[in-house]
Amino acid sequence: MNKQATGSVSEASAGGGRPLSLDWLVIGAIVFLFLIVPLFLRNPYYLHIFVLVFFFAYLGTAWSLVGMAGQLSLGHAALVGIGGYTSTLLFMDLGVTPWMGMWVGAIFCAIVGVIIGYPAFRLRGPYFALTSIAFAEILRIYVENTEVGPFGIPLRAAMGLLVPLKGHAPGVFQFDSKEPYYYIALAMMCAAVFLSFLINRTRIGFYLAAIRSDQDAAESLGVNSTKYKLIAMVISCFLTALGGTFYAQYFRYINPDRAMGIGISIEIALVGVVGGWQTVLGPTIGSILLSPSGELVRAYLGGTYAGLHLFLYGLLLMVVILFLPQGLNNPLMRAFRRLEAKVWRPRVIEKVVAQEATKGDKPERRG
Amino acid sequence: MAILEVEKLNKSFGGLVAVNNFDMSVEEGDIMGLIGPNGAGKTTVFNMVACFYSPDSGRVIFQGRNLVGMKPYQICELGIARTFQVTKPFVNNTVLENVMVGTFCRAGNTREARRKALEILEALEFSEYKDVPGHELTTVDHKRLELARALATQPKLLLLDEAMAGLNPTENLRLLDLLRKIRDRGITLVVVEHDMKAVMTLCERIILMDRGGKLVEGTPEQVAHDPKAITAYLGEEYAAT
Repeated sequence: MNKQATGSVSEASAGGGRPLSLDWLVIGAIVFLFLIVPLFLRNPYYLHIFVLVFFFAYLGTAWSLVGMAGQLSLGHAALVGIGGYTSTLLFMDLGVTPWMGMWVGAIFCAIVGVIIGYPAFRLRGPYFALTSIAFAEILRIYVENTEVGPFGIPLRAAMGLLVPLKGHAPGVFQFDSKEPYYYIALAMMCAAVFLSFLINRTRIGFYLAAIRSDQDAAESLGVNSTKYKLIAMVISCFLTALGGTFYAQYFRYINPDRAMGIGISIEIALVGVVGGWQTVLGPTIGSILLSPSGELVRAYLGGTYAGLHLFLYGLLLMVVILFLPQGLNNPLMRAFRRLEAKVWRPRVIEKVVAQEATKGDKPERRG
Repeated sequence: MAILEVEKLNKSFGGLVAVNNFDMSVEEGDIMGLIGPNGAGKTTVFNMVACFYSPDSGRVIFQGRNLVGMKPYQICELGIARTFQVTKPFVNNTVLENVMVGTFCRAGNTREARRKALEILEALEFSEYKDVPGHELTTVDHKRLELARALATQPKLLLLDEAMAGLNPTENLRLLDLLRKIRDRGITLVVVEHDMKAVMTLCERIILMDRGGKLVEGTPEQVAHDPKAITAYLGEEYAAT
């Protein structure tokens, strides 16, 4: 009898001691909504906009890992390009499925990341940003003007690579409708955000935060800043290259200007900066805001006012830098926390108290 | 046994000789004070021991190992921690997160790092601040945070650069008390300080530096009564008597 009573009390405290977190519920609800969108939204163009949102959220999140180390990369397009080119060339010329080729591209990009990062990260100041732009531009110009690259790789110069069409062929990353791409992009985005979340909770995340806040202090506490910047860079490059393969398979065409040009580098950086380039969810928030507006402006006004989306991006960037230099993420999070404190917490506590009261009642009744 | 030996250290910045043939030996468990007027080279010596500068010549031996050429994070792993004269908190992180950066040095995972950090905060009576972000702290608390973070790396030798500057007398006394407690845990301290009074009460040995070299070395008593020390601090006219 006595045993039963104590058992139920400890159970109550174990179950009720930790109030349900609103964070996970909200994230779960958003992911669920994204999952069911294609069931209602049949228009391929709108699905395309969603794919762009996920794709740039993915690239932005991958990019922000370098941002978390306090480093600004303006050359991530090079990695998109290398990833896309590697998997597509392997597919075109050797028949390797892009599902395999993407990992080859990713590993290749991780190595490239070390080669760019190692010299640049040892310097302080804007050198990494400059190196990254220079690298991306040199690569673009090289590929644009090279018909056959080293080891006889047929780069096909400015013409770009047209992914050989196989119709509906899931085995080689080709689908005849938007939905599979939609889900793949969604999965990639979720995986990248989750990875970023995990990184932020472990040693690497703490060290990156320390390095970007004060590198001298971080080093004095045992942080090898070059090493941890490189780790962030390698993960970022690896993920970005996978995005490159997605890009090539989704658009079925990849050329140096579109996949390695400064335009895509800036778009990735913009998504990150507007959303909060040193936060887990920032790039996703930035992409949700920027990708659809950019795409819609391009679609509806592109004919009459070409380049208007760039103007819009510039304007948005100025507003964000002036008023929210940390990006949209932090003010949004604060608003969310206030809402949570006002609306959610009291209810959870009420609920827990009520649960404990009813659980506490039971042994009494039995007694 | 000497835990730290500094031999014939030299450092110039351009034409300016900041440190000139400087020798120092710190016994394990001691509190060594490094004092001197502005520009005497204290902080330069400090930064060379902490491997933030590399000396032009000379050696810095910690437990039999030459530190010259090492990186700050490497000597941290060996067991040397430092604080900064101008405090460098990670302003966007909470006090706990700040300290965890230090505990990660000897912790295998996040949970262990968190537990060790909480222990340090507890020991420094700093626990109630654990969730306060760095930018909301006052100057004293920044100093305490520097100390907590440095201790978090479990050093054998702790280097303090002007830890007392900017504190009021009450805060000063509390800090002195804390430093003695740290020493009682077996941690050797090297203190670079401006405030003579604090150093006199805290340190077992003092080196008075002037113009890049060692002027006087001894117990606080000896240094306080040495005419050369008085000259260095107050000028020739006071030394005669």
